[in-house]
Amino acid sequence: MITLTIDGQLVQAEEGQTILEVCRKNSIDIPTLCYHPVLEPFGACRLCTVEIVQGARAGLQTACTYPVVEGLEVSTSSPSVVEARRMILGLLLSRCPNVPVIQDLALEYGIKEPPFPTDHPEEDCILCGLCVRACHELVKAGAINFADRGVDRVIGPPFMEKTRDCIGCGACTIVCPTGAIRIVLEKEAVYLDKPLGPTSAIYVPSLQAVPRVPVIDTDTFIRFRQQDRTNGEISDACGACQMVCEAGAIDFTRQAETVELDVGTIVVATGFEMWDPTQLSQYSYGRSPNIITGLEFERLSNAAGITGGQIVLADGRKPERAAVIHCVGSRDHNAHEYCSRICCMYSLKQAHLVKDKTGAEVYEFYMDMRSFGKGYEEFYERIQEEGVTMVRGRGAEVNVLENGKLRVKGEDANLGRVVSVDVDMVVLSTAIQAPQDAGKVASLFGLSRSPDGFFAEAHPKLRPVETNTAGVFVAGACQSPRDIPDAVAMASATSAKVLGLFSADELEREPAVAVVSEQTCIGCMRCALVCPYGAIEQRDICTVDGQVCGHTAYVNPGVCQGCGTCEAVCLSNSVELQTFTDEQVYSEINALCAWE
Amino acid sequence: MTIGAYAIGAHRGFVYVRDEYPLAVKNMGIAIEQAREHGLLGENILNSGYNFDVKIVRGAGAFVCGEETALMASIEGRAGTPRSRPPYPAQKGLWGKPTDINNVKTWATVPQIISNGARWYSQIGTETSKGTMIFSLVGKIKNTGLVEVPMGIPLRDLIMNIGGGVPGRKKNLKAVQTGGPSGGCIPANLLDLPVDYEHLTEVGSIMGSGGMIVMDETTCMVDIARYFLDFLKDESCGKCTPCREGIRRMLDILIRITQGEGQMQDLDTLEQLGRVVQATSLCGLGQTAPNPLLSTLHYFRQEYETHIKDKFCPAGVCRSLFAYYIIPEKCPGCQLCLKACPQDAITGDKKVAHVIDEVKCLQCGECVKVCRMDAIVARPKSEAMDAQGAQGVKEVVA
Repeated sequence: MITLTIDGQLVQAEEGQTILEVCRKNSIDIPTLCYHPVLEPFGACRLCTVEIVQGARAGLQTACTYPVVEGLEVSTSSPSVVEARRMILGLLLSRCPNVPVIQDLALEYGIKEPPFPTDHPEEDCILCGLCVRACHELVKAGAINFADRGVDRVIGPPFMEKTRDCIGCGACTIVCPTGAIRIVLEKEAVYLDKPLGPTSAIYVPSLQAVPRVPVIDTDTFIRFRQQDRTNGEISDACGACQMVCEAGAIDFTRQAETVELDVGTIVVATGFEMWDPTQLSQYSYGRSPNIITGLEFERLSNAAGITGGQIVLADGRKPERAAVIHCVGSRDHNAHEYCSRICCMYSLKQAHLVKDKTGAEVYEFYMDMRSFGKGYEEFYERIQEEGVTMVRGRGAEVNVLENGKLRVKGEDANLGRVVSVDVDMVVLSTAIQAPQDAGKVASLFGLSRSPDGFFAEAHPKLRPVETNTAGVFVAGACQSPRDIPDAVAMASATSAKVLGLFSADELEREPAVAVVSEQTCIGCMRCALVCPYGAIEQRDICTVDGQVCGHTAYVNPGVCQGCGTCEAVCLSNSVELQTFTDEQVYSEINALCAWE
Repeated sequence: MTIGAYAIGAHRGFVYVRDEYPLAVKNMGIAIEQAREHGLLGENILNSGYNFDVKIVRGAGAFVCGEETALMASIEGRAGTPRSRPPYPAQKGLWGKPTDINNVKTWATVPQIISNGARWYSQIGTETSKGTMIFSLVGKIKNTGLVEVPMGIPLRDLIMNIGGGVPGRKKNLKAVQTGGPSGGCIPANLLDLPVDYEHLTEVGSIMGSGGMIVMDETTCMVDIARYFLDFLKDESCGKCTPCREGIRRMLDILIRITQGEGQMQDLDTLEQLGRVVQATSLCGLGQTAPNPLLSTLHYFRQEYETHIKDKFCPAGVCRSLFAYYIIPEKCPGCQLCLKACPQDAITGDKKVAHVIDEVKCLQCGECVKVCRMDAIVARPKSEAMDAQGAQGVKEVVA
C-alpha cells in the first residue's frame, strides 16, 4: 500500500496504479479524452494534466501515465492545472468546434467560443488514438493507424483505402469519444438498418430477468470472431469485458457441457417460433425497414430496447400513420391453415401503444376479431373508442412507394370494396408455428405431432397434457398456439399431473404391458429396436458367482404402453403382452369360431 | 559502446543515423568494420569471452526521432512517436528490454575518461556541468564550424575570440541562438553568461544539440521565432494536443504579426500558449518548442511591439512591414545599387542621390548588400506611403 496526498487529502493506493486510477477510485474528477480503462495509457490529449507539487519531477504531469509513489503530493485543480486544461480545451475546441463532448468540457472551463480561428468546422477527430489502440491492442486487427505527422496527422486504413483487415467489429466507434467514426455497410441491407437487434456482443436478454445476467453473443463477440477468422491463430483478441469485470465473472474457456440426469418425468415446453413473412411476398417484408413483425414491434416499444421504448421509423421520425395487418401466415391456405390465436389481442394492444405513444392514425386490417378471453372483448371495445380504424378484411398487399411510404391494400368486407391507405409503418401480425426442429424433439421423446406440426397430446379432451409416452408431458405453445393465460393454465395442469405421479410411493400403470420370458429370450434385442417408447433395455444374466453368461431383454413396465410391437417381432416368442397373451387371443379366436 | 555494453552486460548495440546523412552512415559502417577487424566488436572481444555487436539503423528522417522513446520506436520499426516516461528506457526500452541510450558524443568521452580517469575529466568544466561540449558555430560569425570547448566558458569567449566576432562593417551582435531549432535566443547583453546546462536553462535556452547560431542586427527576432516554429510544426509527431495544435496556433499568430496584422493581446496569448505547451507536452520536442518564441518575446518584446504597433520590422526582414529608403544625404550617387536591383526600381543620375520606387521594390535587399555608404535603410511602410501620397498629390496638382 502507498499513501499519497491528493488535493491535501491523504489517499491509499496500490503499487502500480496511476494517479488517474487512484483519483477515479476516490471520486476525484479528472477530465480525460484519450483514456480508456482497458487500453494502455497513451498520454496524448494531455487533458488529465495534474500538478506534482514537489520532488524531482515537480510540475505538470498527465495523471493517466504517472504511477503513484509513496509520499507523492498531487494537486488536481491548482491554477496552473486549470490554465493548462483551459488552454488544451481551447486548442481542441478550435480544432473541433462542433463536437458536443469538447463543447461541454470547454464550457466547464469557461470557454464558450473557440479561441482560435476554426479552419475546418466539420472536423471531429481529436487524434486521441483510442480507435487505433483498440484496433491493435484489443481486436488485434491492426486495420487503422496514424499516418503523416504534426498538423497533417490523420487516422485511417493503409493509404486511406478500404482494407480487408477491418473486420467491421465496430470497437473503434465504441471507444471514440467524439463520434468521429461510423460503420458503413458495404451492401445496402434493410434488415441491418433496423435498430431492433442487440447492439453489442454482450447484452441483457431481458431486463426483467432474475437474476439479471448478461449473455455473450458468440457470433459477434470480437474474441470468438477473430478466433474463427484466423483459425485460432489470434485467440486473445479483446476480452475488454474480462478486464473491467470486478467480480471476475467472465470466463472465455467455458464450453457447453452435456448434463445427464435421471428423472422420473419430463415436461416438454419447447414453445414456438415466428413464421417468416418473406414467404408471402405480397407483404413486402424486407423491402422497407418500416415493415416490421409484431415481435420486432415489441422490441421497438420495449423500454429496455434500443430506442428506449420510442416508437420510431428507421430514420428516427415518429410515424404519422400506421397499419396493423392480422393473420399474416395464419388462416391462409398458402401458409398455415390454423389460427395463431394470440395475434388479435396483441395487435389491438400494439394499435393502442402506437396511438398512445405517437398519436398516429392506426388502421387494423382484420378478418374476424377473435377476442375470446376474459376482458378481451372489453379491450376491443376500448380500442375502437380510442379511434383506431378497423378495416374488416385481410390486408392483401403492401407496396413500398418511391417516397418511402407504404401503401396497404385490402378488401373492406363491410363496405364490399377494395380500400387502400398510405402509411409510414406496417406491423405484420405474423403466425406462430412449431419450431423447425420440433421433429427432432418429437423423435427424441417419442412424441407424435398433429398435422399443424405442434406436439400431439394423448387425448384432446381427456388427457390434454399427457403424451402417448408415459412420463412425458407437454405444456404451453409447443402443443398448440396459445396466449399467456392459457399457457400458464396448461403449465399448472401439467405440474399437477407430474406431482400426482410423484405423490404415490408406487407407480400405478395399466396392466396391459409386455413381459419377457428370461428362460427363452436369446438376447437378440430386436424388440428394443422396434419399441416406439424406449421401454426395452438389455439386462445381464449372471452365474451364481457373478459371472456374466448372457443377455436378456427387459421391459420397463412403467414405460411400456402395451402396443405389442415387440411381441410381433420376437423370434423366440419370448415376449407376451399381459392380458393379451397368445393363449388368450387364441381362445378368443376359438370361441368366435365355435360360435359360428 | 563496447565498454559501456560490457559494463551493463549488453550484447546488442544500435547506432541510429538519419538516412539523409549518407556520409555518416558510410563512415559509421567503416568504423564498425574496423572495430570488428581489431576484435573490438563481435564474438569473444579481445579474447574475453564477451560478445557484443553493433548494427546501424538508418532513420527515415524525423526530428522527433532524436527523442529517446521515439528513436526506439523507430528502431523497432514503428512510427517514430514518443511515449510517456516512466517507464524509462533503462527500465523498459527497446522491445521492452532495459536499454541504455546515449548520444554519440557521450559515448566518445567514455574512452577518454577510462584512460585519463574520472578526476581528470571532472577538472574540465564547472561544478555541475563537467567535461566539454561541442558547438556548431554558424550564422553571422567570422569563423564557422565545430568547436569543442570546456563547459562553463563565457559566451563572449566563444563568439568573440573563437568565433572571431560578427563580420561586416559596424554590424553589432544581436543575439545567439543555442540548442538547435527548439533552443532559445540569448540577447547580446548576456554575453558574459557561462555556457553550461544550468545557466542556459536559466536564461530560457537549452544546450540541446550544441547548435549555435549567431545573429546580428539584420536578423528579425519575430521572424526567427516564426522560422523555428514553422520547422517544428512540420516536425511535431502530432501525438499530443499541446504540441500539435499549440505550435500551429503560435505560428499562425507569428505569421500574422510578421504580416502586420498582429494585435497587442496576441503577445499575451503567445506567452500563455508557450507556457502551456512547454509545461504539458508529452516529449522534449513539445516541451522545448516554445523556447524560440518565449525567449525572443522575453528579451525582444520591444521588437514584437514595433511589429504590431508601428507595423514596422526594424531589421528589415518581414517584407510587409518595411520599405527601403535611400537617405539622400548619405547617397553619393555611385549607381552600384541601381545596377544590382533586379527590378529596376532604383533611379537616379550619377552623383545625384538615388530614389527607390516603393511600388516596384521587392525588398530583396540586393541594394543594401552592395551599398558601401550604408545609405539604404528600412523604414516603416506608413512613412513610405506618406511620402508617396505627398508625391501623388503633387502630381495631380501639376
